[in-house]
Amino acid sequence: MKCPRSALFFLTLLTMASISCSPTSNDSNDERIKAVATTTFVADLVRSILGDDGEVRGLMGPGVDPHLYKATAGDVNQLQSADVIFYNGLHLEGRMTEVLVRLGRQGTPVYAITESVPESRLLEPAEFAGHYDPHVWFDPDLWIHCVDTVVSALSKVDPSRAGTYENRGTDLVSRLTELKRWGDEYAQQIPRKQRILVTSHDAYNYFGQAFDFQVIGVQGISTVSEAGLADIVKVSKFIRENGIKAIFVESSVSPATIERISADSGVSIGGELFSDALGEPGHMETGPDDSSYDVGTYEGMFRHNMTTIVEALK
Amino acid sequence: MREQFFPAFDWHTVFIQPWSEYAVNSFWIVLMGFLVAGTCGLVGCFVILRRMALVGDAISHSILPGITLAFLITNSRDTLPMMLGAVVAGVVTVALIEAIRYTSRIKPDAAIGIVFSSLFAIGVILISVFADEVDLDAECVLYGELGFIPLQDIAYFGEIVIGPEPIVRMAIITLIAIVLLFAFFKEMIVTSFDSGLAASLGINPTRYQYGLTLFLSIVIVSSFESVGVVLVIAMIIFPGATALMLTDRLPIALVLSTVISGAYSLIGFHLATWLNASIAGGMTVIAGIVFGIVWAFAPQRGLIATFVRNRQIMEGSALNFSREEK
Repeated sequence: MKCPRSALFFLTLLTMASISCSPTSNDSNDERIKAVATTTFVADLVRSILGDDGEVRGLMGPGVDPHLYKATAGDVNQLQSADVIFYNGLHLEGRMTEVLVRLGRQGTPVYAITESVPESRLLEPAEFAGHYDPHVWFDPDLWIHCVDTVVSALSKVDPSRAGTYENRGTDLVSRLTELKRWGDEYAQQIPRKQRILVTSHDAYNYFGQAFDFQVIGVQGISTVSEAGLADIVKVSKFIRENGIKAIFVESSVSPATIERISADSGVSIGGELFSDALGEPGHMETGPDDSSYDVGTYEGMFRHNMTTIVEALK
Repeated sequence: MREQFFPAFDWHTVFIQPWSEYAVNSFWIVLMGFLVAGTCGLVGCFVILRRMALVGDAISHSILPGITLAFLITNSRDTLPMMLGAVVAGVVTVALIEAIRYTSRIKPDAAIGIVFSSLFAIGVILISVFADEVDLDAECVLYGELGFIPLQDIAYFGEIVIGPEPIVRMAIITLIAIVLLFAFFKEMIVTSFDSGLAASLGINPTRYQYGLTLFLSIVIVSSFESVGVVLVIAMIIFPGATALMLTDRLPIALVLSTVISGAYSLIGFHLATWLNASIAGGMTVIAGIVFGIVWAFAPQRGLIATFVRNRQIMEGSALNFSREEK
């Protein structure tokens, strides 16, 4: 009886291992720059500067909380064979930062794109100096600083195309400036007193600073600790007292707390905002002015968030 | 449309490429997977027999107050203070579990539940009161990633390259586990199965229990730091549970659990390569599948063997019965 059983065992493993096999190999030994980026925001920024002159691989997928990122078998090989690596920095990548810094020491050019944001413009909690808020992308002005990092880094890696990168950078900066101006103007539709943004976690402090919103994140900055009962009661009371029209859920954080507050205080949910990741690439949306945008890109994400907030609060 | 759910299976990228182009990376990842699974598996055999299988899960939660206090004291999220906080919290966890278990009527599973949920709750309160504005959770300040092992600092012995530092650390822990196992084998077996007999032989079961769980808490926390949480929780349970389905003899179970751990690591790595997924996830899925197969087909304890035996017994008794009738 022993033999057939173990035979069956190995047969199962064998069939599992060889369900289908077709030898292919796509050895594309092209000269294009291989850049690796961590979050979707970083990948999008690098992609807009690199254009067709290289390939950008983003490690973290759309709609994924960077906390929940797990490395795949291919990621290590990607990181090792990368010509240049970009990450957000300011501890957004957690312990992965150590790995990236180490790769930098071993010779791969590695850049934290937020490194060129002036320290004076970074927000830090009053009692924990130096532990900066990493969500700088919500202020296009600060994101412009990050463009500089990427342009100068790529120019160092590939000096032959420095001019091209410079031009794309200038182009992107003017688009971001325009985006900021559009946002400023659009936000005017909300009376100053009603510019209060209530969301799940503290991701929008830079946004609030840039567009003059008071920002309330129910859960604090980490996405792991849950909102306390007292927080919920306090926020509900605050919403009623200030006559806030709508509150918002985030794409990469569980909506439960916000839904609870909405039920408690009777305030409606104004929509879903992107926080720690961009949307699905190629997912098009149409704004109130009939312009359409791809929420898988930085500009599309920004337009989506701004439109959702303004339309719900005005 | 999203791309298809399973990527196409390609023999070259799944089996050839990892062992040619990326052979060094693959070797370190599979070796580290094996060391973690093997060590957790060896300790796990005893842990399962003592009904403490969920202690890994418990410690993954109860380290929260440890890392929070370490942060509040040092104002740093570097790995070293976080690790120290986690080790202290891990040791406190198992000490409390043992204390409750030996000084009350509470069974180990309930004691584990009591201790880890209270400690986790203390951690959550500490964070909301003192550190709400800092991103502080075990996932991002402590847990390592199996996939990144090849990128860690390389350890040297004089001029000779040994390997990535986490692997060297894990190998030392593995070695300690094996030495302790040989040194205290008799005592561990007796106290695991029959604490009354142990006491009559002059072996203090409590002391070994504390010793085992203290060692376990250190294995767990240092494995968290180098490979992350899922793999460790799974590997404390799977190799031991699977091996104990296949044999009644503990020494054989220990050897089997080690062999099975090697299989998890190798097959799981290739599964993860194929699906382009987390390697720890791949290993754990394989562990689940292997357990399922063993559960069904194990020679003595398996579902099929049990079914066949029960039928034979029934037929046998029916036969006896009809003989008696004649």
